Amino acid sequence: MLLLAAAPAYAQAPKGLSFQATLESIKIDARPQQVITRQFRLTLDADQPETRFKARVEDWWRSEDGARSFYGEPGTLRHSCAPWVSLNPVESAAKPGEEMIVRLTVSVPSEMASGGYWCALTIDEVPDPLAQQSGVGVKFVASVSTGIFVNVGTIDRAARILDLQVGSDSALIKLRNEGNAPVGIDGRLEFYASGASAPTATVVVPRGTLLTEPSLDGTLVAKLPPPSQLPSGRYRVRAILDYGAAHYIGAEREIELVRAAAEIPNR
Amino acid sequence: MRILVRHGRIAIALGGMLTIGSASALAQTTVVLPDTSQTTTMSVNVSEQARVAVPAGISFNVTNIGAATPAAAATVTIDQVVLATATKQLRISLQATTASFTAPVTGATTWSASDVSWNAATWTAATGVGGTLSNAAFNTVATCSPGAAACSTTGLVFSLAPKAAVQRSGAHTLVVTWKVESIGS
Repeated sequence: MLLLAAAPAYAQAPKGLSFQATLESIKIDARPQQVITRQFRLTLDADQPETRFKARVEDWWRSEDGARSFYGEPGTLRHSCAPWVSLNPVESAAKPGEEMIVRLTVSVPSEMASGGYWCALTIDEVPDPLAQQSGVGVKFVASVSTGIFVNVGTIDRAARILDLQVGSDSALIKLRNEGNAPVGIDGRLEFYASGASAPTATVVVPRGTLLTEPSLDGTLVAKLPPPSQLPSGRYRVRAILDYGAAHYIGAEREIELVRAAAEIPNR
Repeated sequence: MRILVRHGRIAIALGGMLTIGSASALAQTTVVLPDTSQTTTMSVNVSEQARVAVPAGISFNVTNIGAATPAAAATVTIDQVVLATATKQLRISLQATTASFTAPVTGATTWSASDVSWNAATWTAATGVGGTLSNAAFNTVATCSPGAAACSTTGLVFSLAPKAAVQRSGAHTLVVTWKVESIGS
């Protein structure tokens, strides 16, 4: 005899979604009328139920402070490559442990002004319409986005440091894109104590992307090392950034660094 | 602020000299030796990738609409991270799909998406940022540290703001998207 125990739905914690996905931005130096194909791959973990995903191409940009990402309809940006991209399939079901492949085809139009064009490939989990939720709550769905960058014709890479600010825990570098294409930019900060020729600390500036619209400006944020490695004091801080051109760009300023006091643990 | 003189990249070219020696051809015997120089080059092309695990949902057990209601701590894990450079980072962010919850009864007062906030949780190998939900932009929840092979938290706590105008019990639901981004030129 088979006995089935029924449990109220609210007593069962919903199982989350887990999967592996390729996250590679697609970067293409293209000629007009060129057609390029690429693939995106996603594999659900073996213990997951079959899940539907929908693929689409969107415009993408970030706030100047880098804290927020925006996704818009294709063509929202003047330099959108979204209208050039077709996807196959647009929607499909991923089975546990099996690879789901979305094929992208980028067809560059015949007459385009030189410059960088970009958009984003987004793969969205499609919510299960039969899933019921009781009470007050939030149903999460997962989404993965990767960039598509298409450079057409003559590319002029140029960037400038607008400002360098150092707080107690992080440093902000404000930048402006003065070229005609998005640029990836990263580098390092060197902190020199007064009179020292070797830096007290060197901090990695994580990679960011400077777009050409809707704003030319962007901000890179670097987390400072603990005060034991970079104590409070007066420093000459030097930013050295690489944006893929034949030279680096740099800026230097004197700062009075005041590190935050250590937190007092709760009793 | 002083703009520095541009630093030039340094390229080092190594020049080599090939010397060919000549030997006498007298009294030579040709011996065939097995060719041991054949090699097979095995190349592996590794894509940028990561494994993502996000919760399916959270519940707010609202027993007092006049007070904020926290949900149980949520777990988010990004692991098996492979990126092109040590300075690239993965970003995890959230956006509501609608401006407000769906009330159990049409037209009933319910919560706005912006009534949901989260804490600056402690993450392993990531920097967590507290924030408020929006349906217009993806707001950052955490950014994995450069070079991190994995980043995770078990302490992400969402909170629902008080809303004394709510008059209907039952299911108030909101669909929210977890975004994992690796967009960079």
